[in-house]
Amino acid sequence: MMIRVKLIANYREALPPEAKNGVVELDVPQGTTIYDAISRFDIPLNDESVIVLNGITVDMSTPLKEGDMVTAFSAIAGG
Amino acid sequence: MYGWHLRILRVNLTTRKVTMEDVDPKIARDYLGGRGWAIHYLYKEMDPRADALSPENMLIFATGPLTATPAPTGNRYMVVTKSPLTGALAHSNSGGEFPTWMKRTGFDMFIFEGKASEPVYLFVNEDQVEVRSAAHVWGKDTHETTDILKGETSQEARVACIGQAGENLALMAAIMNDKHRAAARSGVGAVMGSKNLKAVVAMGNKNPPLHDPEGMRTLSVNTSKEVGADVKKGSNMRIYGTSYVPQVTNTLGILPTRNFLQGTFEGVDKIDGDALKDQYLIRHTPCYRCPLSCGRLTEVPDGPYKGKGEGPEYETISSLGTGCGVSDLAALLKANYLCNEYGMDTITTGMTIAVAMEMYEKGYISEEIIGMPLKFGDHDAMIAMVKLMAFREGFGNDLAQGSFRLAEKYGHPELAVTTRKQEFPGYDPRGSQGMGLLYATSNKGASHMEGDVAYEEVFGVPVKENPHTTEGKPELVRHFENSFALMDSSGLCVFVAIRYAFNKDRMILPLRVTEMMNLTTGAEYTPEEVMIAADRVYTLERMFLIKAGSGPEYDTLPYRMLHEPLPDGPAKGMVVKLDEMLPEFYKLRGWDEKGYPTQEKLMELELPLN
Repeated sequence: MMIRVKLIANYREALPPEAKNGVVELDVPQGTTIYDAISRFDIPLNDESVIVLNGITVDMSTPLKEGDMVTAFSAIAGG
Repeated sequence: MYGWHLRILRVNLTTRKVTMEDVDPKIARDYLGGRGWAIHYLYKEMDPRADALSPENMLIFATGPLTATPAPTGNRYMVVTKSPLTGALAHSNSGGEFPTWMKRTGFDMFIFEGKASEPVYLFVNEDQVEVRSAAHVWGKDTHETTDILKGETSQEARVACIGQAGENLALMAAIMNDKHRAAARSGVGAVMGSKNLKAVVAMGNKNPPLHDPEGMRTLSVNTSKEVGADVKKGSNMRIYGTSYVPQVTNTLGILPTRNFLQGTFEGVDKIDGDALKDQYLIRHTPCYRCPLSCGRLTEVPDGPYKGKGEGPEYETISSLGTGCGVSDLAALLKANYLCNEYGMDTITTGMTIAVAMEMYEKGYISEEIIGMPLKFGDHDAMIAMVKLMAFREGFGNDLAQGSFRLAEKYGHPELAVTTRKQEFPGYDPRGSQGMGLLYATSNKGASHMEGDVAYEEVFGVPVKENPHTTEGKPELVRHFENSFALMDSSGLCVFVAIRYAFNKDRMILPLRVTEMMNLTTGAEYTPEEVMIAADRVYTLERMFLIKAGSGPEYDTLPYRMLHEPLPDGPAKGMVVKLDEMLPEFYKLRGWDEKGYPTQEKLMELELPLN
């Protein structure tokens, strides 16, 4: 199934070159969780990151569905 | 006592009389400094019912005990007065260099009373205090004014001044310092203009003496090192400043778009931090003694929007940009530069134009009245409106009253997204419920800087809070309001203080702020004591509001927030559930069920009982 991962601001450096506007499409197997998807990228998976599914905070073990968007940004800097 | 000079400079502009006064050390300690001292004097000395643009209003510039100390970002000051936009309190914060230079005059606060008979500026070089004619700079913008006044005084001096917007009493007029930094909100620049006070020029070498200079130096160096380590890791605040935030709020569906008709903006990639960095960023521009350096100098080198200056901040992108449906970054920068030069708050400016755009599109205001078409996304019309507002020309005279009065005049007050007549900042509270309670109860009308729980609801700083729920929010909002009152009173910048001078609990505790205050002043505060002092400051401000006629009946939100669900994004279908939060908030604050502080609460905080 196809999902999308969006990395914001300084996390964009962890994206592959084919990413456009910070978004990359991934073909992942059924049962892939948020954690599985975001682990593919070199970003901190602890309190330093805010990771949301379709804009909503959910548990990292949540399985993904076709068309989902996982977004991550750094919580160090805030706004 | 250390840290505070315990000296105030009072300038009566009507009589041109200047007096230097001592501050009672108990008052200094109980009200912390900055915003706290200012409300103490304002409440004691002025009639809160006075017209904000009359000589009876007081205009106070106030530094905190940590201003001009080694504390990283100890470079802030507050402008406190009665607001002509809201009729409530104004307390606007700014950094840069002027606040440090002001404190080095040897005075903690400048109090302006009355009204000069002709344009003047104040020059202060320690005990040399002169009220001088400003006839030659009246009518000039903030950049020219700053250059001219430094030229005729000293290049070592720093300048805070108003531009044409303040002179013309536009209700979104700001006070600009160091050309690009703004005490922006609530029309403080109009109050300065109403007093015929064009500028304040400050210099001196009187650094405040410190109680424990060595201890303060060590703590400050260690704090700077922590900030530096995060900067090295790639802090967004260093790389982008706040301009990366539109991507975050767009993801969460709370990015104000087209006057809050939507929560996501299709053109966000064209006006975000990366677009800015790739096209127009020249370099970073820190405030004095700031290891974070979130300011940015930008330039549009040629074309119709040619210009140079600092910005835009997130709040400018979400008002003049997405708020107006504008996705042309060069035009947005131009509008930002003009606001800084004319001396205008970009939030109220942008969101007032946004309301006018909605009213135009709905046929409530005609092209004949405006003088041109004014559709969402028309960036040239947006720039034209900024100019008209600053000079109050034509339709600009309506715009210069802010969005509430504009919408009311043309028969649709429900379209103004304001509380206490002040425009919302860049977090749609329908998808950030705590922010909704904050806007509804803020002592200065809608403002994120009154107690920005978006740190937790949006950014996960220091912990992530669910933005869609109301549970626990009254407690969080109350705590953040008091924490921000503390920061505004101390002289620290929120950006650094909230991450490096509080602990990492959900209910942030000012452990390091307290340590810095003690090393600086020797006041031997406990963290609990400074939070009680902050509560005292916040509650006294509430008393001022009640006496000013902006009391509990204004603790509400505009129609759109309570009755029109967000149509798009992750918060689709949501409105603010204010009723679920407000009663508990009153109770936690020690206010009665109608929102008035109880006698017991006032006694507990040692505040006046009437």
